[in-house]
Amino acid sequence: MSGLKRVGLTIDGLKVQAAEGTSILKAAEQAGVVIPHFCYHPALEIEGNCRMCVVEIEGLPKLEPSCSALVREGLVVRTSTERVREARKDVLAFLLAEHPLDCPICDKAGECRLQDYYDRHGLTASRMVEPRERREKKLAIGRGLILDRERCVLCTRCVRFLRQMPGTGELGVFERGLRSEVGIFEDAPVDNGYSGNLVDICPVGAITAEDFRFKTRAWFLARKPSVCPHCGRGCAVTVESVSGYPLAKGERRVYRITARENPAVNGFWICDLGRDGRRDIDEGRHARLMKAGVPVAGLSWQTALADVAAAIRTVPGPERSAGIAVVLNGRLTCEELALAKRLFVAGLGLSKVYFADRKPGSADGLLLTAERLPNGRGVLEAGFAPRLPALDEIAAADVLLVFGPYLSEHLAEEALAKAWAGIPSKFLFSAHEGPLDRLADIVFPVAVPAEKSGTYINVDGTRQTFAQAVKPAAGVAAESAILAGLANLLALDAGGGDAR
Amino acid sequence: MSENGVRLLPLDDDSWRLEAYLRRGGYEAARKALTSMAPKDVVAEVCQAVIRGRGGAGFPAGMKWSFVPQGGAGPRYLCVNADEGEPGTFKDRLVLRRAPHALLEGMVITAFAVGIRTAFIYVRGEYALVSGRLEEAVAEARSAGYLGPRVLGTDFGLDVIVHHGAGAYICGEETALLESLEGRRGQPRVKPPFPASVGLFRSPTVINNVETLAAIPQILAHGAGWFLGRGVAKDGGTRLFGVSGAVRRPGIYELAVGTPLRQVIEVHAGGPPEGRSIKAVVPGGLSAPVLKADEIDVPMDFDSLARSGSMLGSAGIIVIPDGTPMLDVLHVTARFYAHESCGKCTPCRIGTSWILKAVRRLRRSGGSPADLDLILRLAEGIRGRTLCPFGDGAAMPIRAIVTKFRDELERAVAR
Amino acid sequence: MSYAPSPAALEKIEGTIALYPEKPAALLPVLHIIQGESGFISAAAEAWAAAKLGLRPVRVREVLSFYTMFRRAPAGRTTLQVCRNLSCALAGADDILGLIREKLGIGPGETTSDGAVTLVTAECLGHCDHAPCLQVDGVDHGPVTRETVAALIEELKAHV
Repeated sequence: MSGLKRVGLTIDGLKVQAAEGTSILKAAEQAGVVIPHFCYHPALEIEGNCRMCVVEIEGLPKLEPSCSALVREGLVVRTSTERVREARKDVLAFLLAEHPLDCPICDKAGECRLQDYYDRHGLTASRMVEPRERREKKLAIGRGLILDRERCVLCTRCVRFLRQMPGTGELGVFERGLRSEVGIFEDAPVDNGYSGNLVDICPVGAITAEDFRFKTRAWFLARKPSVCPHCGRGCAVTVESVSGYPLAKGERRVYRITARENPAVNGFWICDLGRDGRRDIDEGRHARLMKAGVPVAGLSWQTALADVAAAIRTVPGPERSAGIAVVLNGRLTCEELALAKRLFVAGLGLSKVYFADRKPGSADGLLLTAERLPNGRGVLEAGFAPRLPALDEIAAADVLLVFGPYLSEHLAEEALAKAWAGIPSKFLFSAHEGPLDRLADIVFPVAVPAEKSGTYINVDGTRQTFAQAVKPAAGVAAESAILAGLANLLALDAGGGDAR
Repeated sequence: MSENGVRLLPLDDDSWRLEAYLRRGGYEAARKALTSMAPKDVVAEVCQAVIRGRGGAGFPAGMKWSFVPQGGAGPRYLCVNADEGEPGTFKDRLVLRRAPHALLEGMVITAFAVGIRTAFIYVRGEYALVSGRLEEAVAEARSAGYLGPRVLGTDFGLDVIVHHGAGAYICGEETALLESLEGRRGQPRVKPPFPASVGLFRSPTVINNVETLAAIPQILAHGAGWFLGRGVAKDGGTRLFGVSGAVRRPGIYELAVGTPLRQVIEVHAGGPPEGRSIKAVVPGGLSAPVLKADEIDVPMDFDSLARSGSMLGSAGIIVIPDGTPMLDVLHVTARFYAHESCGKCTPCRIGTSWILKAVRRLRRSGGSPADLDLILRLAEGIRGRTLCPFGDGAAMPIRAIVTKFRDELERAVAR
Repeated sequence: MSYAPSPAALEKIEGTIALYPEKPAALLPVLHIIQGESGFISAAAEAWAAAKLGLRPVRVREVLSFYTMFRRAPAGRTTLQVCRNLSCALAGADDILGLIREKLGIGPGETTSDGAVTLVTAECLGHCDHAPCLQVDGVDHGPVTRETVAALIEELKAHV
């Protein structure tokens, strides 16, 4: 873009500079002038069908759609004249005339463009006395998506997205005129790894997710930015949750994960695996300290950590290198990895520091990488040479500290159990329940990435720092706190001092 | 039209045959262009003749050609718009049936002028049988060397493919036509880019109406001055005026551009049948705002009709006789646009149907003058607010009927 | 559910596809050929055409459902298309349509129970100087009168 000539124009009296080839809508946005729109999406081909974004351009007789009209030197654009406001009102009146107005039961309510724009640009009384068209309201179109054709405004964002982004093109527009409707061909449903984005980009409540329908209201949700931990891409996400944790049985904390714009990493999209990561935050979680697989009443973190420190101390300095094994993972943040490095390598002088992560899957050529850990580059940057431990390398240890439940993905459970049985002290630090739980002396419930702040470095080397998006449960701690606590108990300088 | 002896539409029965066309001097204009003129001189000649698009928009054809970028290695295309569907319009049908070689010769000249080697004729689906002669003419012309790799023995080649639509008025809009020709829903494209630079298969494309192209040979044969002299200052040539509705002799009349509407109706088409009188006239296809009986002393050229608040459009004249309830005319009009809206733009998709619903209600159960205001308001919500001219084409005739016949409509709905 | 065109239709389809610089452009003509042979275009035929042109079936459905001349279900042996736009309306198209409905006992979009006739209405058929007009399997008739229409319908009913 920087190579393009820049042109000067006036938008609502503001002098604006924009690169040649920029749409008026975008140029206005860059200047802080927001032009309402339904069909326009910065990542999708221009369709110009909703007619909501029309503006007045001096010298032109008609209102022009600002999504398709490009900036030109000296253009004088007005975005909120009487004529423009009338046109917007008319578009809203038309859309609402054929809209079911079922906002009270619509999952999009509260974040619906039609609703928002009506408040801001419409506010006219309905003139429609004729009955509106009746259409299919609950059409399953695949991947847990439900299409409500009465709510659809035919912006075709969904159709264009599927053709352009995953390139699968499952949706089309059938019929014509007022009978036009979005649909799938026969029994060929939407079936690709990016389907959830359809819910994000639908400007109204026409495409909703079974996973979210009727579960809560948009306005009850706190939206916090985070970075997706489910592959090496590190897509920007928004974690949408309710406060009030812990929840009653059956209630949810994180209701959904949505895509957050980040041009450097994921554009506007996330994959379904990442979106489904909401389960990773709330489901199958450890919430309490456990011994031998069962919660122990009255066991405090302090005591439990002291047990770990004590176990470590039982191994004499010269034998630590061979006698203590640690298994880390690539879900740890750069900050945590640095702490681990100082504690285990510099501080305790361990040589048996291994890594176990989720098994690689296949890359989809879009966002999803083969690597299913978020901070592989961070692991390298921290100076680790990550490798899986062999069974006998673990078995030979006197003390074993395992971070994450992933070891069981790589080693046969029975063999693992046998090997573990011979280790005098073994501790598991895991966010999720798993086969290792019953093998560990103590299981420490740790935080998931959304509950932490820190930095990840993605497969392309992009460094992303994120803040805590949801608070962990009372009994859950981040690995950073655990590592710092251990260092403290072992009287090791968390800042990287020597072992005493 | 017999003056000067030149007619686009010949009257003899075998006129559509190559032999008959050659007898009338057919393909001589193409020969002249291909063997003695440079392409840019052909464009200049056609520009000078001011032949305005006969499909309805009235854009000067020569100027349209001149928008095609010079040079460039890729293909360019000619699309013939034979998607005649504007209600009250049936002129292209006659050209296809009676003078297909005039169209083909016009295409040869146009293609030569613009550097095109492939042309498509997009014929509306309902004309599948009508276009039988066209397809025969293409075959005849190809085997006689008027089309094909070496047109008239020159290095210039032109392939012509006849393509059939499948029932969609909107495909007469040029970018919808391109979409349809590429095998998609006939929905207009966002402009710019204009077809002259990015058209069919993303290549520079000229799109002209059948009648426009069929008249091109006359310009080359007789000169721009002669052609322009047959029309009016900024609108040259003759037009095929189609007259239907309440006249004694409905049909196509080839007359000079600028011939008064009243004269076309009363002299050429014989006026209303015995005992009937004219109540209103739609002068240029259904999209042209209706004229009242006292408004028909207007010359039939683009600018004059625009000044009278209507448009020449496709020059399809529909004569509405006395006694016709204008509520019925409003209904037919509203129904047409609701049926043919492609559904792409919000105002047109919903607005045309809303208008139809409102009109239906008025017909069913009466109503009040306020309902007429609603219809006007809805039409205003469509006018100038859509991607393509269909929106205006729907809004303007609706508005004209309601405003010009308001009293009658109020009485009708209040009954 | 499967579809395959006859060898003759297949040859025609392949010849048609060869005319166009890009395969998908042949979609409308190909659908015309399929409908010409089968009387309608089944879902299986849509999928077949899609594969033939390198398209997704949903793209064929989009097109098929946009254009009024394509049918997704079998029609009667004869299709009667009655024009009712302004020129024909002024010439009594509504009356003609009423007569046809009465004689056939069906409305627009319907097929007689014996499978003889499918009735559809049309916006302008471009035969306005012959109003009121109609098309019988694509062949123009007009101007028609109550008498000629009544005779036509008797003929169509008898046609097996």
